Amino acid sequence: MEKGLKLTDILVTIIIALIFGIIYKLWGPLYGVISTLGLHVEQLIYGMWFIAAVVAYLIIRKPGVALLAEVAAAQGEFIFGGEWGVATLIFGLGQGLAAELIFAAFRYQRFDMIVASLAGVASALASLGIDFYYGYIGDLALWNLLILFGTRIAGGILISGIFAHLLVKALEKTGVTNLVRPASQEDYKALG
Amino acid sequence: MSIDFSYQETWLHKINPSLKLGFVFLLFIHLIMIHNTNILINYMFGTLILYLFFTGHPWKRLMIIFLPFLLIFLTSSTSMIFFGKGDVTWFKWGLIHITEESFFRGLHLGFRGIIFAIIGVVFALTTRPVYLFYSFMQQLKLKPKYAYSFMAAIRLIPLMIEEMQTLHYALKVRGVQSGKGIRGLYNKLKSYSIPLLSQSIRKAFRIAVAMEAKRFSNSGNRTYYYQINFSKVDLVFVFYLIAVFTLSYYMAVQYPYFPITDVRL
Repeated sequence: MEKGLKLTDILVTIIIALIFGIIYKLWGPLYGVISTLGLHVEQLIYGMWFIAAVVAYLIIRKPGVALLAEVAAAQGEFIFGGEWGVATLIFGLGQGLAAELIFAAFRYQRFDMIVASLAGVASALASLGIDFYYGYIGDLALWNLLILFGTRIAGGILISGIFAHLLVKALEKTGVTNLVRPASQEDYKALG
Repeated sequence: MSIDFSYQETWLHKINPSLKLGFVFLLFIHLIMIHNTNILINYMFGTLILYLFFTGHPWKRLMIIFLPFLLIFLTSSTSMIFFGKGDVTWFKWGLIHITEESFFRGLHLGFRGIIFAIIGVVFALTTRPVYLFYSFMQQLKLKPKYAYSFMAAIRLIPLMIEEMQTLHYALKVRGVQSGKGIRGLYNKLKSYSIPLLSQSIRKAFRIAVAMEAKRFSNSGNRTYYYQINFSKVDLVFVFYLIAVFTLSYYMAVQYPYFPITDVRL
């Protein structure tokens, strides 16, 4: 057996990531428009930028997939000319690593909504950490900073936790996930 | 799709892609460490010259791409301007509290956002993805299975877009209504994303099996269709950046726009 991810895993992950890469790119202008409303309302949709890692992991269920998906999605957004340029790659790396760490903490054994939401929270925290240097958010007034934290984390849970999980649940019904997932304990049991 | 995306090749296209990306990264790290708005503005002019004159794309396209940049300026700067900390108050109304410090910090963030956007778009407009990944394999020793997967995936994007069109027509012909409000939005998202994702995964799986059979995942000694090397143009690029960098500092000290040298204070 070859170690690590096989070409099949990688290609499927990257395809999923690039689909979300396009969405990431389209999300930029939407984010811009909403942010003109003020008071960090736009942070509620920020969670979309964490979704590639969670969805890819929930579909393929292998170590390393979350990180690869988030980096590939960021790379995709970058190649399509995303508004944040190279910053995207740094954020993608940080968010992907954070999600990967959460999945690793559960030893890649859990695929439920709670784990997905935790990954969303971890990604949100990672992006906030980078924003500390990149966006000087430490210099915002405290109440404003708290709103920023709250809305971004809530957005992470809503979009890349709950929505991502529902999406993959629906996808499982099409049977396509069986193609790419490793055989589970139940599969062996079914063989008798 | 019949969108015309022709362009003229310039010296920016001929730079080694890995080197270009490497320097773009260095620029990013360096820019984060600049806290003087004067330097940043000069820097912006340096990158703007590349964008306006050396990407080889027609003016009209460059202008259209530039429009969202202005939005970037607003989104990156406004919350800091309105809600940032500071001592010298200029304006106060309810929650909004504009101070001299927060104003300049916001401005700084806006310019920084624009510079990143310009550099990113210059890179995207002047780099062919295929060359980028060949260069990754040859100069950065990226494993071929990652690089070829990426290239195959990029080729699939036009297919996915076409599929989305078909899906759109199919839903329309059948008179599918997704309802209103959050529920409707969720239904609409689902009716597009599930078929798109499942079809793409199936397609990717089939292609991957074929690619593995043809030993695309082989990472031993292999030859490449495109040989990507370094050339004199790379030196020109590096020297241009060094020139922009030194000039920005010099001009910022000699002819500052604002009397503020560190926006964090």
